[in-house]
Amino acid sequence: MTENKTGVDLDELVLKYRPVVSFRVRKALGGATPDWEDVADEIITQVIEKVRKGEFRGESSIGTFIYTITSRRIVDHIREKTKILRHAPEPAPFPDPGEMVEAQERAARISEAVKGLKPKFREVLYLYYYKELPREEVAKQLGIPPRRVSERVNYALKLIKKDMKR
Amino acid sequence: MKTCRYESQIDKYLLGKLDASGSAEFEEHYFNCGSCFAKLTERDEVIGVLKRNKSVFVAEERPVIEARKAAWLDRATAFFTPRQWVLAGAAAALLVAVLTVTPLFRNAPPVFVLNGEDTVRGSSLTLISPVIDIGSVPAYFEWRSLGADMEYQVSIYNGKLLWKTTTRDSRLSLPDNVKALMIAGNKYSWQVKAFSPQGTLIAVSSRVQFTINH
Repeated sequence: MTENKTGVDLDELVLKYRPVVSFRVRKALGGATPDWEDVADEIITQVIEKVRKGEFRGESSIGTFIYTITSRRIVDHIREKTKILRHAPEPAPFPDPGEMVEAQERAARISEAVKGLKPKFREVLYLYYYKELPREEVAKQLGIPPRRVSERVNYALKLIKKDMKR
Repeated sequence: MKTCRYESQIDKYLLGKLDASGSAEFEEHYFNCGSCFAKLTERDEVIGVLKRNKSVFVAEERPVIEARKAAWLDRATAFFTPRQWVLAGAAAALLVAVLTVTPLFRNAPPVFVLNGEDTVRGSSLTLISPVIDIGSVPAYFEWRSLGADMEYQVSIYNGKLLWKTTTRDSRLSLPDNVKALMIAGNKYSWQVKAFSPQGTLIAVSSRVQFTINH
């Protein structure tokens, strides 16, 4: 267990927040951007350094502290990239083959789970997620109350999740 | 199970329907809420697949259009939640089972056997005289004929059977020995049964009362 003077367990911090930071960075930069993982690593390193230096004083939650660092670093990265892109084209992404296979398998299982749903659930997913129609518009198209749209979406997601666990 | 109030923001965030401050607020929240973050990543993966893989909906485009035509059906099904529909279905199935099985345990239906009081057909036999109180012992008893070849069984009662006879006419004169049994001031009743030539009971009249006045 690696602790600093503020009592924060750094191992636990990395374990818990690396996925969160990675998700936020990937969301901001796009999954196809090759250096999103580097940015996420930089953020985690920066967080550890700041915690070790005692810059985290517990005035906010550790989550908010890391979120603030993440947001600033993303903004900096986008600024840097904008400058670079004026002179050089973006290199092609080079994803990890193992991760790609795993992601593809999961995607195939999700697709199968969706195909196995009853039409009423697939159509609500289609209108709500694929077409991105507002809940009220989906309700209007299907002739059902808006709350029923939410219920169907949630139930469909539960069924997909259940199917994925099998 | 307690749900986080930010859960409703997950779809809006992933579909880019939150404004900048809403997004920032939600992002800060999921940095602090493991439950929301877990749901967020799960949902992101599913939405990503749905967005990239339209083929899962290929069979959908038609049903979506058809769904509009069948909107009344959806409105009808929307009346209950799926769980309520299941309960209603179970209750209906139980009711059907009870109604189907219960008759199997009932007693056997009664066997109808004709006796002297039953009729085979619905012919009515109307008594003509006497049907009201009379001043003296009636000289004859008369009823409406049901046709030729009928045999009538006439019974006279004074609480119990006083006299019984058969005839093919629709009118019967009382013999003197029977008249002698009928006393003024007493109450009597009479009834006629009609039989076919084969001996089958065809009709039974109502039992009519009369009193012989002093």
